Amino acid sequence: MTKLRTVFSKQGLVVFTLALLSGANTYADKPEFELAIEQHLFEPSVLVIPANTKVKLWVSNKDSTPEEFESYELNREKVVLGGQRALIFIGPLAPGEYPFFGEFNPKTAQGKIIAK
Amino acid sequence: MLLTSVIIIIREVLEAAFLISILLSLCVQLNLTRHWFKWSLAGGVAGSIALGSQFGWVSNLFGGIGQELVDAGLQVFIYLCLLYICFKFIDHYFKPSASNATFRAILTAVIACAMTREGSEIYIYLLAFQDLPEGGISLYSGSIIGFGIGLSCCALFYYWILSFSVSRSLLLGCVLLTTMASGMMLQAAKMLIQADLLPDGQLWDSNGLLAEESLAGQLLYALVGYEATPAPAQLMIYMASGLTMAGVMIARYQYWRHRQLPKEANQYGN
Repeated sequence: MTKLRTVFSKQGLVVFTLALLSGANTYADKPEFELAIEQHLFEPSVLVIPANTKVKLWVSNKDSTPEEFESYELNREKVVLGGQRALIFIGPLAPGEYPFFGEFNPKTAQGKIIAK
Repeated sequence: MLLTSVIIIIREVLEAAFLISILLSLCVQLNLTRHWFKWSLAGGVAGSIALGSQFGWVSNLFGGIGQELVDAGLQVFIYLCLLYICFKFIDHYFKPSASNATFRAILTAVIACAMTREGSEIYIYLLAFQDLPEGGISLYSGSIIGFGIGLSCCALFYYWILSFSVSRSLLLGCVLLTTMASGMMLQAAKMLIQADLLPDGQLWDSNGLLAEESLAGQLLYALVGYEATPAPAQLMIYMASGLTMAGVMIARYQYWRHRQLPKEANQYGN
């Protein structure tokens, strides 16, 4: 058991240190972007953000129903309840197009982020 | 709405269903009690409703990253529980005995937590869309089909593991639990990246080889934590978690092997 505890604590320490190191950046200024969900559609459906820069993306759900912002390309998934606003950190992204969709209404809620 | 509900429910159910089938089949193979299972299901349903109904409050915690932190916390907890469970499975294989209260409590907790993570989203989805005109029958029939497919996979997997000998099913079960647990740590890392607590990046893009959203991609996502575009931090945590778990299990296996060898030597000596 002692061996087991040592392994746990070592791994925990690495994760914690990593989190602390990157967490130091958390409060630095980052460009902010807004995305709205209305009638199960994203507005705007195409969002241009700077490449190689971490940005704060605010997703406001103006519908009464929840939506899940999801993107395989961006590796992001977040449930945004009806009438709520959620924060998602994105990037730094290489230049390119990154599609996203609303998992609860995938037929209509489609959009993409273009990093330039 | 019908197809959307089928896909959403399958995606949410698969991971917990695989976990349940592996744990239950190993308990059968090792002659361990399964009385804890009813409590884990009850806990999972209660947890899903509790987290689902408080989701707005949870999301707004810690400056808007509450959802990510709770999810990552649950995943790390599940990983630690699975590490302990595999350790105990090896003990029970070499020294058959009744499971103690701690072991049963951890088995209960791990399934309850895995169900809570996914179940809370199902709860939010079903509750919100049931009253809409496009919801109703198609929403519920889609969900029932989704649950049916998920549970069928679970049953198939359960009987598949039972078809092996005890030692082979223990090996297969421990390997699968290791990849699943490491996959959970990979997902925890993804949540911490989303919350800006770990650095983001992209090591490669294997979507061309196997798309993450494809059926095979989703199955591998649940079983081995397949990620088509992993970040360096995700890969590091995945590798560290997998190696730690494999190392602990190999060490435990060797410990029992060494304890048994002198006995075997004595038997041959006599």
